[in-house]
Amino acid sequence: MSIAIYPDRLTPEFVQSVHFPVARLGRRGLDETRVHAFCDWVESELVRMLNERTALEQEVWRLRERMRETDTVQPEDGHVQAVYILSRAQQTADRYVANAQEYSRDIAQDARRRREEILAETKARASVILDEAHASALQAAGRSTALMQAPAAGDEPLNLAQRQELETELTYLRTFSNVCRTHLRAYLESLTRSIDEWEHAEQDASRPR
Amino acid sequence: MRGGGDRVDERALKESFERVGEHGDEVALFFYSHLFLGHPELRDMFPVSMSAQRDRLLNALGRIVSDVGNLDSLVPFLADLGRDHRKFGVSPEHYPAVGASLLAALTHFSGSAWNARLAADWAAAYGVIAEVMIGAADGDEHNPPWWDGTIIGHERRAVDIAVLKVSTSQPLPYIPGQSVAMEFERRPRLWRMFSMANAPRPDGTLDFHVRIVDGGQVTGALVRDPGIGSALRLGPPVGTFKLDTRSERPIVLAAGGTGLAPLKAILEHLAVARPDPPPAHLVVGARTAAELYDVADLEKMAATSPWLTVTPAVSAEQDPRAEHGTVADVLTRLNTWRDHDAYVCGSSAMVAATTDRLRTLGTPPERIFIEDFGWSQS
Repeated sequence: MSIAIYPDRLTPEFVQSVHFPVARLGRRGLDETRVHAFCDWVESELVRMLNERTALEQEVWRLRERMRETDTVQPEDGHVQAVYILSRAQQTADRYVANAQEYSRDIAQDARRRREEILAETKARASVILDEAHASALQAAGRSTALMQAPAAGDEPLNLAQRQELETELTYLRTFSNVCRTHLRAYLESLTRSIDEWEHAEQDASRPR
Repeated sequence: MRGGGDRVDERALKESFERVGEHGDEVALFFYSHLFLGHPELRDMFPVSMSAQRDRLLNALGRIVSDVGNLDSLVPFLADLGRDHRKFGVSPEHYPAVGASLLAALTHFSGSAWNARLAADWAAAYGVIAEVMIGAADGDEHNPPWWDGTIIGHERRAVDIAVLKVSTSQPLPYIPGQSVAMEFERRPRLWRMFSMANAPRPDGTLDFHVRIVDGGQVTGALVRDPGIGSALRLGPPVGTFKLDTRSERPIVLAAGGTGLAPLKAILEHLAVARPDPPPAHLVVGARTAAELYDVADLEKMAATSPWLTVTPAVSAEQDPRAEHGTVADVLTRLNTWRDHDAYVCGSSAMVAATTDRLRTLGTPPERIFIEDFGWSQS
């Protein structure tokens, strides 16, 4: 094929098929004009392709940059967005549960501490009450024995001794229970008062700030 | 580890997991969200709060990856894990979904370090994990995945402590000293470990000692008012804490709080395992006398068992009915325990202190058996 018309694009097949006519008479080799014309065309084609390549490279680089900038939004995944939304919702739920647990732990610990304080105090008070009751009852019993020692006429001495003993015991017990009752009542009242205080304190604490 | 005929690159897996692991909780969070978006029906297998679940997942993955070249240790771990998952209702068809979400999470957090080779390694490794777990679960099919239980008794013994009696719809064989995971119907998807507090009975009923954990989601409901007739699910019995029936040595048992439960089961076992049980001394400790919730029962047991001595101990107050001091202190005052087998159960702190003391007193370390209630109970 002799070159007269060039195709739109430089292709290997075209280069393969190029055929140059021999030179005019008196000159050796191929027709110089045709060869030069071909080389000019090849050069212009190469320049065009190189430019195209550079432009494409720049395009690729630009796209890569854009992908890197928007890394969190991978093109494949609207799904990833959904995963993130669900994750945040889960974390919120976790936090609510943890807060509730923490609050209930604080209340339980506080209640246990108060319970122990109250029990310890009760024990201490109870032993004070018993000691006091015992002391008062002993005194009262002593007084009643003293009174009894003036014997009434007609009483047998033995009966008198028995009676005295019983009276003493009775006075002891009566006084003991009286003292206990009084103390317990006072103590119960003070307990009721502290429970009320506790309740108010809790209400104040739970009121929104 | 070998999978799909290809040699998995262990180092690549470890490095990859290390990189991904830097994102910590976020990885597990992503994994579960991905899983539930693709398979919403799986969400119901988990509790509302997932924090503890995520920790467990990351721990298990960490364990698996660090042991990836050590099959002798990894395979039994995975087999246990596979059997353990039966009670949650996990079946083989769930595994591919989990694998896909795991790979998605790994891909997401690996960023530019992710490549086809790594993806293939992870897929192959997960394939083997799933295979071992499914295989172990299948091999366990002669047991039910869980036992259905009913609360038939509830006694509140102290402000914070109750004893539950439970019957099961089918027999639950166990060795005294073992424990089970329990799910209470009023606190769904929250499984907690409890020891059986009795040796197996002809009627198959089980006792559990439950103490309220402050702020706990489950124990409060079980202790206060669980409701007679309420349903429970019990997992398979686990644990190696049990009576050494071959030993002829006398026995000392040290209980802290509700750590008494497995020790009571062991004592009952001892009573029937031997026609002539060796001398046994139980020291049961609590902070206050009010928390010695089972002493009446124990004393009844001691009254009919001449080989058994029970010593209550109270550490935070003086009480005429109990020795004063911690279990370790009371043990020290009572004896040297050099010739004894020791069984210890209670809080982590109590177990550590008591074990230390027994060693000091001359009990050989290999003759001290412990059950640590240190797991997070709530």
